[in-house]
Amino acid sequence: MGIKDRLKTGIQKNLNQKYIKRLLGIIAKKPILYTYGSTFSSVSDKYLNIFTIESLRKAYSDNYRPVGYGSLFLPYEMIHALGITPFLPEVMAGFTAGLGLAAQTIKQASLNWYSQDLCTFHRSASGAQELEVFPKPDFILTTNLACDAAQKSFYIYSKKYDIEKNFYLIDVPYRYSQESLFYLTAQIKNIYMDISSKSGRKPDISKLSEAIELSNEFREWAIKVNRLRETLTDYPPYFNALNYILPFHGLAGTREAVTLYKYMYIELKKYLAKQLNKNHDKKNLPKKILWLHLKPYYRSEVFDILNKENCIVAFEEINYVYWPRLDPSKPFESLAIKMLSHFLGGKIDNRVNMILKLAGEYNIDGVILFAHWGCRQSNGGARIIKDSLNKLGIPTLVLDGDCVDRNNSSQGQVKTRMQGFLEILNSKT
Amino acid sequence: MYTCGIDVGSVSTEAVILDEKNNKILSYAISLTGSSSKNAARSAYEDTLGKAGLNAGDIKAIVATGYGRINIPFADKNITEISCHARGAVSVFPELKTVIDIGGQDSKVIKLENGNPIDFLMNDKCAAGTGRFLEVMARAMEIDLEQFAPIFIKTSGKVDITSTCTVFAESEIVSLIGQGTDKNEIIKGLIYSIAGRITSMVERIGLEEPVCMTGGVAKNLGVVKALEEKLGVKISIPDEPQITGALGAAYLAQGLL
Repeated sequence: MGIKDRLKTGIQKNLNQKYIKRLLGIIAKKPILYTYGSTFSSVSDKYLNIFTIESLRKAYSDNYRPVGYGSLFLPYEMIHALGITPFLPEVMAGFTAGLGLAAQTIKQASLNWYSQDLCTFHRSASGAQELEVFPKPDFILTTNLACDAAQKSFYIYSKKYDIEKNFYLIDVPYRYSQESLFYLTAQIKNIYMDISSKSGRKPDISKLSEAIELSNEFREWAIKVNRLRETLTDYPPYFNALNYILPFHGLAGTREAVTLYKYMYIELKKYLAKQLNKNHDKKNLPKKILWLHLKPYYRSEVFDILNKENCIVAFEEINYVYWPRLDPSKPFESLAIKMLSHFLGGKIDNRVNMILKLAGEYNIDGVILFAHWGCRQSNGGARIIKDSLNKLGIPTLVLDGDCVDRNNSSQGQVKTRMQGFLEILNSKT
Repeated sequence: MYTCGIDVGSVSTEAVILDEKNNKILSYAISLTGSSSKNAARSAYEDTLGKAGLNAGDIKAIVATGYGRINIPFADKNITEISCHARGAVSVFPELKTVIDIGGQDSKVIKLENGNPIDFLMNDKCAAGTGRFLEVMARAMEIDLEQFAPIFIKTSGKVDITSTCTVFAESEIVSLIGQGTDKNEIIKGLIYSIAGRITSMVERIGLEEPVCMTGGVAKNLGVVKALEEKLGVKISIPDEPQITGALGAAYLAQGLL
């Protein structure tokens, strides 16, 4: 048994906060995060791991208080400007899958009466919460943008820690209008002021403006990376942009997110130069896939099949830069604009239009929507997405599966569906 | 030159040897898969070689398909049953637009355009709508599965089976028998239940004629008739529907020559 397996077995037998803390210490030194899907195979990947570990280390330390639990889609620029150390339970649920802990956290959630119908990101996070392996929060922030489960499960966390008064839900209106912009801006500002006051800190708008400047800088690099990716016909080994959740969420408004994407740009540019020097067999170029929603975070053969069938994930919707450049002089309004611009908010047409745009920009041959169990916001639109793409002659696979719980789907069936779909793509001339 | 296709399914394994010169089936073999897909594939392969009077050296390419396709060391390539059933069915009915395949552990509907698969749907993770569902029910009723088709044809009434889950449906049947319900009507209800699940899959993907049915369950004329009735179309069946996947694999193996 190798060190990684021994460690995993050890953790599984001793799932408690002390052990998790020890594990995090080990992760910080050793590149074992590849279980999560990412590796230390590139500079940007190395930074992703370091920044992830660093943010976890802070959240588990007593020296970086207050700690704020946050769901995806929040304006993290504000959270960083407030001096709150963010901790993202949904991202941690991805870690539980990668580290082989999800079976235990999900079992714990079941013992505590969390419904099996609840998405496993939230079930696993809730189980971990019940096992008390997460750091104690001082604030809890969430939003009703896209995800419906976070607002409920995060509220349960606030009750568990008796901090309901420090629970904040950002209510993002369905429609984007002047009225909704005004409503959302006021909410964000009130939350900012309230948390400042509760933390005993004087509001410092200049810090918020700085975070927004960094957010803009990140946006520029992300757009450059995305433009570059339009021209790439394959990727460095182990490159998987589906791992890059944090820069768009928990790291938004930080120097780290900028650094990460800057290095990613440099790396991909170098790779493109190498690619251009090679004599590619144009008839045998890989088929380009657009990946919708997330991926399995446990070890899965899904991506091996892609390689085997000569297909690449050319782009992922999670990496789409959907918001305009933000105005640092109007920080609250800017953050409201960013939230209202999200393609998962409002009508399904917003998402469909974005997908069709990406399909054109990246010369997509086929689309895979990974239909994660319990994720209503994404799966609810599957039919209209598939129909819209089929009208353009782009084959679409709605791949039922689970991002966190490997026991919730038959790996053989996932594999057959995936391989069958790629065979169809490859049979098209 | 000869090619071979081997379809390792959950219940049975089929092998077909095809003559590339005239696309004639030289021989085929069907055996039970049992606990080792590797052994089942080897046994079906040797059986079909023997029937054709050939040696392994005469076979120029082998494609494995079916759920056990990965574990066949002597195969040159593995291709999914989606591509293989489509190819096999088109070799028999070239104008096909829809293939319904009901095997032992999964069922699928494949949509074709110009003989090539363009979309497909498979049953979800449970055994409802598969051959296994019928097998379990036959066992619960202590009636030979082969009797299902004649019973379906001669029986006019039917009982609705409401449970989707195979295990729950089995309990439902046991209680229906306990209540004295006519077994023939239960069988008719079971066949309509499987046909109902497949019909919804066909409708989801979009029904287009001509339609063909492959896989072991296509031998059950009761299921075929129920499907024809529900879909309102004529369904063609190959002479030996169970070998369609292996036949398609043998055709696709020609691409490796």
